[in-house]
Amino acid sequence: MKIAVVGKGGSGKTSVSGVLARSFARSGHNVIGLDCDTNPNLGLSLGVGDLETERLLSLRDQIDEGEQQHAHTWDDILDAYGTDAPDGVRLTVVNRIDNPEPD
Amino acid sequence: MSAEQLLSSVPESDTVIVADLEAGIGTLTRLPEASVDSTLVIVEPTPRSIDVGQRAVLVATERKQGHITIVANKVATHEDEERIRTAFGEHPVVTVPLDPVVVAADRQGASPVDVDPNALAISAIGGLVPVLIETTDT
Repeated sequence: MKIAVVGKGGSGKTSVSGVLARSFARSGHNVIGLDCDTNPNLGLSLGVGDLETERLLSLRDQIDEGEQQHAHTWDDILDAYGTDAPDGVRLTVVNRIDNPEPD
Repeated sequence: MSAEQLLSSVPESDTVIVADLEAGIGTLTRLPEASVDSTLVIVEPTPRSIDVGQRAVLVATERKQGHITIVANKVATHEDEERIRTAFGEHPVVTVPLDPVVVAADRQGASPVDVDPNALAISAIGGLVPVLIETTDT
């Protein structure tokens, strides 16, 4: 099941995403949290903490700067650019753009 | 690989993928048709948030992005809830109350689930699980 979570910045989109992912996991589902936001903070809402969230963002930056190779398959991306969050949720950060479009 | 390419190419499976898209409707407008099974539109009771939410509903409907559910978030009064229900007509609305636990978690950089798993907002968001399972064909 693929669920897209959308809304204006500040609407609480990321908090809802994080809690929803943890809720699915607690009810026995395999869950992947996909952070597609230009200001990626899903890691915090999932409970992986500041340091791990920053580590994932640094990995994305290295890809953008060409220091790391892009992963080409879904499994590669989960392996290379993901981390384990509480309740068994797997978190992956998809992109980081320094100049996001306005809402 | 962009968020749009990734979401549209993920193989169907029993795994639940919760994709936190960019603020606004940019990713939604670029997402290929029928890339997801369900779209959750998060709306707080402010005119700008409702406006962005209504545009998201239009795009998600036009591009067949699955079942649409509105989350009326940070709801403090009955009027807040009614404003959002009125704005979204026939779409199902799940209400999440304004909750100091979520505010505290945000300040701490923590998950609200770890701050207080029994908070009202957590229970309300957890209530989305059966709704999404029921309305999604998987």
